[in-house]
Amino acid sequence: MRVTVKLIGPLIYAAGFSEKELTLAGPATAGEVLARVNVEKGRPTILTRNGKAVGPLDALEDGDRLVISPIYSGG
Amino acid sequence: MLGWTGSILRVNLTTRTHRKESFTEEFARTWVGGRGFAVKILFDELQPGIDPLGPENKLVVALGPISGIPAPNTGKAVVAAKSPLTGFYGDGNLGTRLTEQLRKAGYDALIVEGKAERPTMLYIEDDRVEFLPADDVWGRGTFATNEWIYGKYGKGVGILNIGQGGENLVRYAVIRSMEGRSGGRPGMGAVMGSKLLKAIVVHGTRPIPQADPKAMKAVGVEDLKKIHQMDQDSGWSRQSTTGVLAWCNEVAGLPVQNFRKTSHAEAWKIDGERLDEARVATYGCPTCTMRCGIAIRDKEGHESELDYENVGLLGSNLNIFELDQVGSLNYLCDDYGLDTMSAGCTLSFYADAIAHGAAEGDFRFGDAERAKQLLGLAAHRQGTLGNLLADGSLRMARAFGHGSEAYAMQVKGLEVASYNCKFIPGMALAFGVSPIGAHHREAWIIAFELKNTTRDSYGPEKAAKVIELQRIRGGMFESIVACRFPWIELGWSLDNYPKYFNLVTGLSWILNDMWALADRVYALIKLHYVREFPNATRKADYPPAVWFDPGNADTEGPIAHRHLEADKYDRLLQHYYDQRGYDNRGIPTRALLEKLGLSREAEEAGKYATLT
Repeated sequence: MRVTVKLIGPLIYAAGFSEKELTLAGPATAGEVLARVNVEKGRPTILTRNGKAVGPLDALEDGDRLVISPIYSGG
Repeated sequence: MLGWTGSILRVNLTTRTHRKESFTEEFARTWVGGRGFAVKILFDELQPGIDPLGPENKLVVALGPISGIPAPNTGKAVVAAKSPLTGFYGDGNLGTRLTEQLRKAGYDALIVEGKAERPTMLYIEDDRVEFLPADDVWGRGTFATNEWIYGKYGKGVGILNIGQGGENLVRYAVIRSMEGRSGGRPGMGAVMGSKLLKAIVVHGTRPIPQADPKAMKAVGVEDLKKIHQMDQDSGWSRQSTTGVLAWCNEVAGLPVQNFRKTSHAEAWKIDGERLDEARVATYGCPTCTMRCGIAIRDKEGHESELDYENVGLLGSNLNIFELDQVGSLNYLCDDYGLDTMSAGCTLSFYADAIAHGAAEGDFRFGDAERAKQLLGLAAHRQGTLGNLLADGSLRMARAFGHGSEAYAMQVKGLEVASYNCKFIPGMALAFGVSPIGAHHREAWIIAFELKNTTRDSYGPEKAAKVIELQRIRGGMFESIVACRFPWIELGWSLDNYPKYFNLVTGLSWILNDMWALADRVYALIKLHYVREFPNATRKADYPPAVWFDPGNADTEGPIAHRHLEADKYDRLLQHYYDQRGYDNRGIPTRALLEKLGLSREAEEAGKYATLT
């Protein structure tokens, strides 16, 4: 299964990439993909799958776009 | 009275006189400072119905008890007056050295009245006030004006100034300071211009009175270091506010093409990553250790300091995806002294009106060069078109007709900040009930809506969140006058702010005291509105009509075929009124006003509209 992971803002510099495609051996949840990316553990994030908010236990599907963002505040 | 200087400087430009006035400790404790002072002073001193661009309007510059001391992010000032854009109370804040200097000169606020006979610069040094000619810089931009003032007094003085936008009474002209700082979106720069007041320069030499200055300094300096470290650890200021652009694009919340679309394939070209890569300098306000101003070179080679709102509304909202061109538009707004948000929305409205046949013209989305020309026309009120553009999107729509008011992106006349709420009901509410018009400063709840509830909900939890954030952002921070960013972006505890407040005042306030202050301030802004618009209905608290239009819904993406629903929005608005203690028109009830200590103000407002 292939998913595209897009990181937002400062997460890019910690993880060392902005966007990349991951090939997963089998089914995976959003939280499992998050764990594979170098985002500081415990850092509050918001996950969206194809533009819609999801929780870490939500399953991903082939071709999904998972966006991982810090919690912004609107300035 | 400690913490406050206890004095306000009142200057009359017509009579070229000034007076130092004392205020009571009760006034200080009731209104604290900043927005609190401004809203009370203007309610008491302005008659409803006055021309906001006439000499009878007053400009208030107000500071708070922690302003100008070495504590986190306290180098800000509130500027307020009756707004020429919205027709009632308007204000804004900006980072400026004037904050520290005015406090050191011995004042917590400055009130400017009347109108000068010729272009004037006000120079204040402690008790001395001079009315100096400003003919040399009248007609020049804010950058040149700053340099002119620096040449006379050095860089250490506090400065507020205006550009051609303010001089020519552009209704969304701002007040500027320190090259990159702007404040007073609802036309505070035009109010200065109407008084022929080009600049205010302040130099103060006295200590700021504090209950425990030694402890405050120790805590303040230590906390500034901690905040700096938190910023470094989190990486926030690498992209600062512009980090949110890419996220808005992903979740269908970005303004594109006058808010017609919510994302764009080329948005990455102007996002925070590209901005960071193009960075040539970083700027911030006084006493800030998490500087957010990212400067790039614009198309013409100027340094242009950007944040998210500028990039969103002068970039994607105009379908302009060349970062240096966005920088150019931003630079022009800064030099002319125009609000970048209202300027962006007014230009996008004009392009949209042409596209929909409501107006004739040659401006198309994506045309950066023509956009630059139009900003020049607006700033100088050149010709019919320049005058239309200078009046903002709502007045422009009323001139065009053909139903175009539906897509003038504003609330109460103030243009919407850079979040597309086509299907984000809670944030649409935040814009609708923002007390001065559609400003993002008061409450921003999009992440909450997506993560903690659902985008579909119009439930009371969203109204509660808006109120919670209004109390913090528009109430406490605007009245103690400090930047909200350490708290909101880095998680710096809110408890620190009563701590600073208590160290300088010797009082024992807790956050609940701040929330009571906030509710009082919001209620009095509403009474300003009621006095000016006694027949207004709850529809004034609705966001732009186009967000309710099924024909405007996205056709693909995460919110395809979704739009705000009027009946549900109205129920959400009622949740807000109920939780606030406002009546069905959105007016604070007499019972609430009495509870907030506003009985006299209720009597005054009651002369114009029936209070329940």
